[in-house]
Amino acid sequence: MGHLMGIEYCQEHVLEVAKNIALAVHKAPQITGKTDVDVEIIWGEDLEPIIEVMGPVAQVMRYVKWDYETIKSCYEKGENPVVVAVGARTARSNLGWDCGACGFDTCKEFNKYAKENRGGGQLGGPSCNWKALDFAIACDWACAAAWQYRVDNRVMGSLGFALNALGFMPHMDAKIGLALGPPRDMVYYSREEMHKSMTYEMDKQDMLNCVPNLFTAFPGGGTPMYKNKDEWWAPPEFMGMAYSPEVMEVMQQVLFEQVPEIVVKHADKIEARYKDKDK
Amino acid sequence: MRKYVEDLDFRGEEYVNEWTPWSPQDIRRKKGALEAARLMLNSAQTAPFAGGVPSVEAHIVYGQEELETIARKMEEIAHQKEQWKEPFLYEAVMVRDSDVILFIGNTRCHETPLDAGCGLCGGGLDCSYFYEQKNQKYGLVDITDRSSKKEIDGPLCTARVSDLGYAVGSALWTAHTLMVDARPFASIGMAGMQLGYCRNSGMVVGVPVAVKSKNPYVDVNVDYHLINMDKVLDNTRKIYQTARIIRGFDYRKWIPKPQKSDEEDE
Repeated sequence: MGHLMGIEYCQEHVLEVAKNIALAVHKAPQITGKTDVDVEIIWGEDLEPIIEVMGPVAQVMRYVKWDYETIKSCYEKGENPVVVAVGARTARSNLGWDCGACGFDTCKEFNKYAKENRGGGQLGGPSCNWKALDFAIACDWACAAAWQYRVDNRVMGSLGFALNALGFMPHMDAKIGLALGPPRDMVYYSREEMHKSMTYEMDKQDMLNCVPNLFTAFPGGGTPMYKNKDEWWAPPEFMGMAYSPEVMEVMQQVLFEQVPEIVVKHADKIEARYKDKDK
Repeated sequence: MRKYVEDLDFRGEEYVNEWTPWSPQDIRRKKGALEAARLMLNSAQTAPFAGGVPSVEAHIVYGQEELETIARKMEEIAHQKEQWKEPFLYEAVMVRDSDVILFIGNTRCHETPLDAGCGLCGGGLDCSYFYEQKNQKYGLVDITDRSSKKEIDGPLCTARVSDLGYAVGSALWTAHTLMVDARPFASIGMAGMQLGYCRNSGMVVGVPVAVKSKNPYVDVNVDYHLINMDKVLDNTRKIYQTARIIRGFDYRKWIPKPQKSDEEDE
C-alpha cells in the first residue's frame, strides 16, 4: 500500500535510472572487445566540486557556460541532477593492428608516444581511434538508455573536462559526463535555465563572430564590408584578424591558475575515495 | 501535382522461412532485415554529435554477389597482415551469413576536424598533432592524394571518430531494440573502404545485420573459416553422394529390410 505524491520521488528515482544506464554502458558492444570501460554516478553534494571547477571555464567558453549554469541552477533548486561519468582506457593499444589511424605506422610507436604524452589534452588523449570508437559506442548507449527511460539528458565534454581535472576515474584516459534529470521536459535543450541570461545584442554579436560569412557584403572588391547593422553601409565596417593577448591571457589564467586552485581544494578527497576502493 | 493513390487491395499471405537460403521465403525474411537496417541508419543519423555537426554517411548493401565481394575483400586483407589473419577470415564467414551490411563512415575526421583543441588525438592543448601531419594550407586539409601505405590514413580527428562511435552505437541500440542481430566490425569497415563504400569518409565501421535462428556473430568455433555451416553443408553434399553409390539397388524390385528376430517370426 502506498501513495506517492509530488515530484520528489521522481527526482530520487533519477538515481535508479542512472544505475540502469550504467548497466547499458557495460553492455555496450565493442569493435575491439579489448577496451576497458568504466562508469560512475555522482550526485548531491559530490557535484559541488564539478560545478565549481566548471565555473571559471564557463566565463571563457560559451558552451561550458550553458552546461555550468544549467546544472548549477538545477542543483541549487534542489532538483537533484545526476551525472553519469563514463571513462575508458584509450591511450594504449593492445590490438597490434598497425592500421595507421592514430598517425603512427605501428601500435608500438603509438604506445611509446602515448606513454610520454598521456592526459595532456582537455579531454585526455592521445587515443587509439578504435578504442575511441568503443568508448563512444558506450557513451552513446548511456544516452540511448537515458532516452529509453524518458529522462532529459545531454552528454557533455564540459563535464568530461571537470572529471579529468578533478581526478575522477584516475585509471581512465578518456572521460565524458552525461547530465541526467531533473524529471521535466527540455532541461538541456532550448534551456529554460538560460532565459534572460543573454541580451539580444550579445546573441547577435555571437552570430557575427561565429558565422561571419553569413554577413559578408559583395566580396568583389577584395575587402568586403560586413552587414552588422541595419544600415550597414553607413558607415561601412570591416572585419579583421589579430592575435588577442587578452583572450589568450584569460584562457591561460583559467586553465593554469583558477582551475588548479579549485582542483587542489578537492583533489585529495576525491583521490582518497579511489585509494579506499583499491584497498 | 501528383496525388497519392491509396492502395486498398490489402490482402495476401507471405510464407517466410530461412531455409532454403535465397529462396523466395528466405528473401522475404531478408527484406525484414533490410527494413531494420534502414531504421538503424535513421538512428545513427540522430545520434549526439559534437556541436551538432552532420558528419555521417552510410551505405546499405545486400544481395548474394554484393556480400560475397565484401567477404572476398576481407579475405584478401587477411593475408596481408599476420595479426589480422584470423579475425578477418572468421569475420568474412559472418558476412556471408549476414542479410544486410550497413557501412557507417565519418566524412570529417580526416579533413574537417572539430578544431576545439580537445587533445583527444595527440594529447595536447591544441590541434597541432593533427595538422602538422597533414598536407594542409591555412588549416584546409588537401585530401586529393588518396594514396596511403596504411589502411587508415591517420592521424584523424578523434572527436570526429567519437561522433562515428556515437552513430554506430545508436544503430546498434536500435538493432537491439528491434531484436535483430548486429555487431560492429573494423574488418568489414576496412574492406568497405577499399571497395569504395562511404568513399568520403576517413574511417568506416561495418555493421552486419542478420535475422536468423542463430546469431552469426557469436559462438564461433576454432578455424571458423574452415569449419562453418557453409562448409559443413558442402561437405555433406560431397560425402553423401558417394555413400549412396557404394550400395546401389533397384528399389522397385527389392529394398533391404531389417532382419526379423526369431521371436518376431513366431
